[in-house]
Amino acid sequence: MSEQPKFNRGTALSIFKSDRMEDIMALLVSLGIVIVVVALVPIQ
Amino acid sequence: MVYTKKTPWVLIIGIIMCVYAWLVQQQYLAGVIKYLETDKLAGEMVTMGYIFGVIGIVVGLWQQFMQPKEGHLDYYLSTIGGALLILLCVFAVKYGAEPVFKAWGAAAGKSIGWDFAKTLGINYILLGIIVGMIVVNVFKVPTWAENGVRLSRLGLKTGVILLGALYSAAELAEYSKWSIGLIFVFVLGSVGITLFMGRRRNIPTSMAGVLSAGLGVCGVSATVASAPVVNAKSSEIAYSIGTILLWGILMMFIFPPVGRALGMTYEQFGAWAGTGILNSAQVAAAALIYQPNGIETLKVAEIFNITRILVLPIIVLWLAVWYVEREQTAAKVNLLHVIVGKFPLFVLGFIVLFLLSTTGMFAPSHHAGGKFFAGEKAKLLKDEQIVVLQKAATDRPETKAALDNLIANKRVMSKEDDVLLRGMEKAKETPKEIKAVLKDAHKNAWKTSPRIGWFRDLIIWFFAFGLTGLGMQITVKAITQAGGQPLIIGTTVGTIKAVGALIAVLLLKDLINP
Repeated sequence: MSEQPKFNRGTALSIFKSDRMEDIMALLVSLGIVIVVVALVPIQ
Repeated sequence: MVYTKKTPWVLIIGIIMCVYAWLVQQQYLAGVIKYLETDKLAGEMVTMGYIFGVIGIVVGLWQQFMQPKEGHLDYYLSTIGGALLILLCVFAVKYGAEPVFKAWGAAAGKSIGWDFAKTLGINYILLGIIVGMIVVNVFKVPTWAENGVRLSRLGLKTGVILLGALYSAAELAEYSKWSIGLIFVFVLGSVGITLFMGRRRNIPTSMAGVLSAGLGVCGVSATVASAPVVNAKSSEIAYSIGTILLWGILMMFIFPPVGRALGMTYEQFGAWAGTGILNSAQVAAAALIYQPNGIETLKVAEIFNITRILVLPIIVLWLAVWYVEREQTAAKVNLLHVIVGKFPLFVLGFIVLFLLSTTGMFAPSHHAGGKFFAGEKAKLLKDEQIVVLQKAATDRPETKAALDNLIANKRVMSKEDDVLLRGMEKAKETPKEIKAVLKDAHKNAWKTSPRIGWFRDLIIWFFAFGLTGLGMQITVKAITQAGGQPLIIGTTVGTIKAVGALIAVLLLKDLINP
């Protein structure tokens, strides 16, 4: 029986194990950017 | 397995970026910058150079002097090298190659009457993709950079989510009514034609299923999402993706010159690209190639693109029913599980940002496309411009009152005045010099929210990163995977979709261009 890999290392197109995980990471990056922009940049 | 490669290149790229930023900051490159007319980008060159340069130096030193152990830290830090390689390519094309081509094009325009850079739309997005393709096909992506290149889709998805912040409710309502109609016709039409052709040409049901989703909806993601529903084999998924990529890449290069030749506005081109190009990434690429230094085309193209992504669950449902009807032995698939499991979550992020933008979180709540009426904060017209305006005449009393207000205050006093003066500016009988001053007055009356300005710059960087990285994934092998029947069907459906979308957009041009 072949040994299960310790970590899932994504596909040829993405470092994440699934599209869903990549979407979640994109959402987290965006959330971080929104927080920084709203906190540091004036509205007008 | 340890993914971090011991390479000096990450450190070297970091040093190159920092040195470049320092040279620009200390004005050592002032002559070159002036010649290339990139003065406006000097601040960005310094900021971006230092940020990415410092990251490169820190990670490069860590790679040199530490012994990485197997685990998540090693895996995720191993992506930094590739990400920096992509960014170095973006630096090279944005601050170097594009301005050089622009200067050559302008010189050619004067000498032989053909500004090739302008006509062919040579800009940093197009050059970034081409450089990426050259890197992967001619030199091969170095092993230390391979993991980072796989971050490009993350960059594109983040760019699409952030794009939600730039829309206002009025704009979305304006474009979505056209996008919903056009997308329904073209998505359902493409899926229907593909399934029909698949049956006529005797390709396996599962192959026709994935191909129809890919050609109809949003390319690669739709192919992957529909695969479990029609029990597609991995070779069929690969053929479908190969066909879609080949067509997407071809269209990405063909659409912008055709749009320019037809004199399409940014909005019309965005609608055409968002409807007619098969794959999401190439929609964004074509829009940015058409308008590299602005966001209008991308915004319209993405609204059309997102509308068709939202159609995905309907198509998955259709394919499931269609497949079960044809394959008596088909194993029952839990549809709800597939739809919920494969729905692209990043689209929800786009919608959430749009809703936040509508509440006035990023720009005053009455903004339109991130711009709001500046009122007293508006920049005033110059005295010589007021002299020009004093020569203006109009028969309409309300326009005359708005003009008098403008002359007395040197700025547009209200949104109503702005509408009236815009009408005067657009009128055929208004002399050119007066039109120019009225245009300036309108420009001064509307300000971009600084937050929206930040989002706009960040979005451009995410797309530039994602698309250059995408170029590094376009291998000859992936393109040649499209073969035989899928290619014939893909070519037919792709052509019908591109030409049909062009005709539809041209017929609706006055409506799409408010």
